[in-house]
Amino acid sequence: MNPMMMLVVILLPILGGALVPVLPFQKRVYRNLYVEALVLLNSILVFALLWNRPIEALDVVRFTGNWTISLRVDGMSMVFGSLIAFLWPLATLYSFEYMKHEQREKTFFMFYTMTYGVTLGIALAEDMLTMYFFYELLTLVTLPLVLHTLTREAVLAARKYLYYSLGGAAFAFIGLIFTMVYGNTLNFTLGGVMNAAKIGDRTNILLLVYVFAFFGFGVKAAICPFNSWLPQAGVAPTPVTALLHAVAVVKAGAFSIIRLTFYCFGTEFLRGTWAQGVVMIATIFTIVYGCSRAVKETHIKRRLAYSTISNLSYILFGVTIMTPLGLTGALTHMVFHAFMKIGAFFCAGAIMYKTGRHYVHELDGLGRKMPKVFVIFTVSALALMGVPGLAGFISKWNLAQAAVESKHVLSYIGIGALLISALLTATYMLNIVVRAFFPKAGFDYETIADAEDPNWLMLLPLTVFALVIIVFGLHSAPVTAFLQEVAAGIY
Amino acid sequence: MKETVWVIVPVLIPVIMGIFLLFMKPSKSRKTLLWITAAGLFVTAGLVGYVLSLGDAGYTLFYLTDTLPVFFRVDSVSRLFVSVVTFIWICSGLYAFEYMKHEENNKRYFGFYLLVYGILVGLDFSGNLVTFYMFYELMTLLSMPLVLHNRSHEAVMAGLKYLFYSFFGAYMVLFGIYFIYHYANTMSFTAGGVFDAAVLAENRSLLLAAAFLMLIGFGVKAGMFPLHAWLPTAHPVAPAPASAALSGIIVKGGVLGIVRVVFYIFGADFLKGTWVQTVWMTLALLTVFMGSMLAFLEKGFKKRLAYSTVSQISYILFGLSVLQPVAVTGALLHVVFHAIIKCTLFLCAGAVIYQTGKTKVEELSGIGKQMPVTIWCYTFVSLALIGIPPTSGFVSKWYLATGALQSGTGIFTWLGPVVLLLSALLTAGYLLPVTVKGFLPGNDFDYVSLQKREANGWMLMPILLLTICAVALGMFPNSLAEFFAAFVPQLM
Repeated sequence: MNPMMMLVVILLPILGGALVPVLPFQKRVYRNLYVEALVLLNSILVFALLWNRPIEALDVVRFTGNWTISLRVDGMSMVFGSLIAFLWPLATLYSFEYMKHEQREKTFFMFYTMTYGVTLGIALAEDMLTMYFFYELLTLVTLPLVLHTLTREAVLAARKYLYYSLGGAAFAFIGLIFTMVYGNTLNFTLGGVMNAAKIGDRTNILLLVYVFAFFGFGVKAAICPFNSWLPQAGVAPTPVTALLHAVAVVKAGAFSIIRLTFYCFGTEFLRGTWAQGVVMIATIFTIVYGCSRAVKETHIKRRLAYSTISNLSYILFGVTIMTPLGLTGALTHMVFHAFMKIGAFFCAGAIMYKTGRHYVHELDGLGRKMPKVFVIFTVSALALMGVPGLAGFISKWNLAQAAVESKHVLSYIGIGALLISALLTATYMLNIVVRAFFPKAGFDYETIADAEDPNWLMLLPLTVFALVIIVFGLHSAPVTAFLQEVAAGIY
Repeated sequence: MKETVWVIVPVLIPVIMGIFLLFMKPSKSRKTLLWITAAGLFVTAGLVGYVLSLGDAGYTLFYLTDTLPVFFRVDSVSRLFVSVVTFIWICSGLYAFEYMKHEENNKRYFGFYLLVYGILVGLDFSGNLVTFYMFYELMTLLSMPLVLHNRSHEAVMAGLKYLFYSFFGAYMVLFGIYFIYHYANTMSFTAGGVFDAAVLAENRSLLLAAAFLMLIGFGVKAGMFPLHAWLPTAHPVAPAPASAALSGIIVKGGVLGIVRVVFYIFGADFLKGTWVQTVWMTLALLTVFMGSMLAFLEKGFKKRLAYSTVSQISYILFGLSVLQPVAVTGALLHVVFHAIIKCTLFLCAGAVIYQTGKTKVEELSGIGKQMPVTIWCYTFVSLALIGIPPTSGFVSKWYLATGALQSGTGIFTWLGPVVLLLSALLTAGYLLPVTVKGFLPGNDFDYVSLQKREANGWMLMPILLLTICAVALGMFPNSLAEFFAAFVPQLM
């Protein structure tokens, strides 16, 4: 396919999204149709592009020397790009219903759609500079979404999000500069681009830079101690929390770290060094920390946000094992977690939308009134815990196998952390399920008489997610095989 | 091995019928509900019987990943466990027809009851470790609604406690599975183990640690010290027939797990004489004694029986831990006998509660005059549990003790039988007062207001049937013993 197509799929949502507030729509339905058509068309184009990928790269802008904004499709782009392209139209569908009870829908859909293009930019970036460019852009374009409700809480959250992200990006920038100076090229190459001759005896400095860049990008992936923006950003409308703060934005952070580790510094250079130890300990700590906070949290969305923090570090843990198998595990969890968590978030959103209840202790008995939502919530809860037969079991299996195979003592501890986290996940997720389905004796169903399942706009995405979780859980071989090939650099 | 799809039919049928019951309209009469449940129980039992008659059957359902099959296989251990499950499940199920009249939401109870039955058959038929683990987790999740059935604050808390302890154990097991998968040749259960000797020697300490974690992990379900605390909380709060099923059968899921891991994955030779075996024997004996002691001190009737389970399951675990054929035979015999006996005891306790509402042991004076049949049955199975010949408990304990004496495990050769004896005394101490006080309430007892309150046929029939089995199996243990003699020696 023509390489220009890469630019098209990035620009189409950005420009099309920018038109949302300008175009004179008569009715809400027309606007919704426009947005959905735009997003769906773009997703089709993305799939067409990724699965007939152009071999050559596309230089969009050439500044000077090897400073370019350039795009290329490789295996990693295919994984992240497909994930985004699959989720976006479904999430948009959900937002139409959800946003009815929020203000300023136009602004919302404008930025929501633009974010799609920017995220694809990260997926398709050919080199570090391009990725950095889109990474910064992502912060800016999602800021209004966090700010959306314009309450004091939202403003504070947005400010925090901005400072954290920009600060992180600054550290990532250090990594960019060092890659440029000490590497052969800025273009992503599996195995790394570092030039041993240029490095000489400055190994330790470069390792330090790697750690800086890791935590820099790690801010978006909410690694401890830079996680506090994420639960706070939960004030945004649910579609934002679900799609951006459980998938697109945070996984862009994880994605960047994969690029940094496997495609810039290279695992040859990093494996077995103190830098690996440092980042691995950070991820292991975050896995347990996120879950523990989730157990204590009583606000549903914030609880899920803490769960995301923990699960993102599963992905990062896979990355820090620094083997192809580790990368496979990380990618599997990146994909599967997306479905599990967006499913859980959308259920939470449906509950909030239908009942106006935001806290876990208010959910008593709702299972009987909103059976579909809670069945799907249960499926995603069980999947997050890692019950065999659902997607979460497979991704944890892959991560654990990578850890066992690496024979690194820290990674054995990591397996322990995964399992402790699974137990805590059971605690904070099943607590909700048990409450909803088994309210205490003498519970008065009259108090929730008006609760009911939402309409198809919300149920359709939820059903799709639940099915995906089950299908991947029962039959994961094709996906895993593809991800293995990506990790081995076949694409 | 014969590849046949029939193997999964008895797993699916009760699951489907259970789900059907759960989603059935609540307006349907209780009679319909009971007919469906009865049909589910007996059809499944028939199918189980058919599958067992097929001999060495197996079936690969599908692959979770490219190397993880969901695989079923019927071997001798499966036969043993699935027969016990089926027998107890039917008895306790029929009993519940009457008992559940005084509880709400029967539909949910019987729905989950059938579901768990299917899952247990799946657990017993599992042919490899991952399949086993899958059914093990499902068993925990789906049996939880039975625990918290009456939804009182206490019951819900107990249900959650049950869940978290069980998952804690399950994840320890999973930790081990990750390592086994990497180092073993296959995950399919093979008598004698699945490791190459060279691999075992090379990664000895790592694999021993994995084995230890898995023992403790499955030990949670089996109520082994130090993670036994959920059991006396969760079992008594459930409705009596559910307590019977939980205490008789679900805890055996942990035992089955240990049997599978020790004899079919690692192999007994690998663990023999290691620190893992020593710790395991110590924990088992400690639990035997501790459980009996706590039961002796406990006032609540059902809770006392739950502590008794803690103690008795560790008899089984001790029998397995000495890794000696006679003792293992004893352990597996005790699996059968304890299931029958403990189920009867809980059903008797349930009958007492149902008829009189009394839940404390001290309130039970004169109960034998009111419910003579129930308390006679209670007495017979108590004697069996204590191990008085010619009842069944005597046979299994005899094997356990002889096995331990022949095992050559150092101090445990004599310590084991001593602790078992001591615990038998305590067992008499905590079970028989009910009989004694029940029939001989003393002179100051008010005989005038005494009424016959015997339970009706639906409740008495299962109790009688179980009692007869508990006694008769002790008098005619030969066919069982032959069954064991055919496969136990191959495990060592």
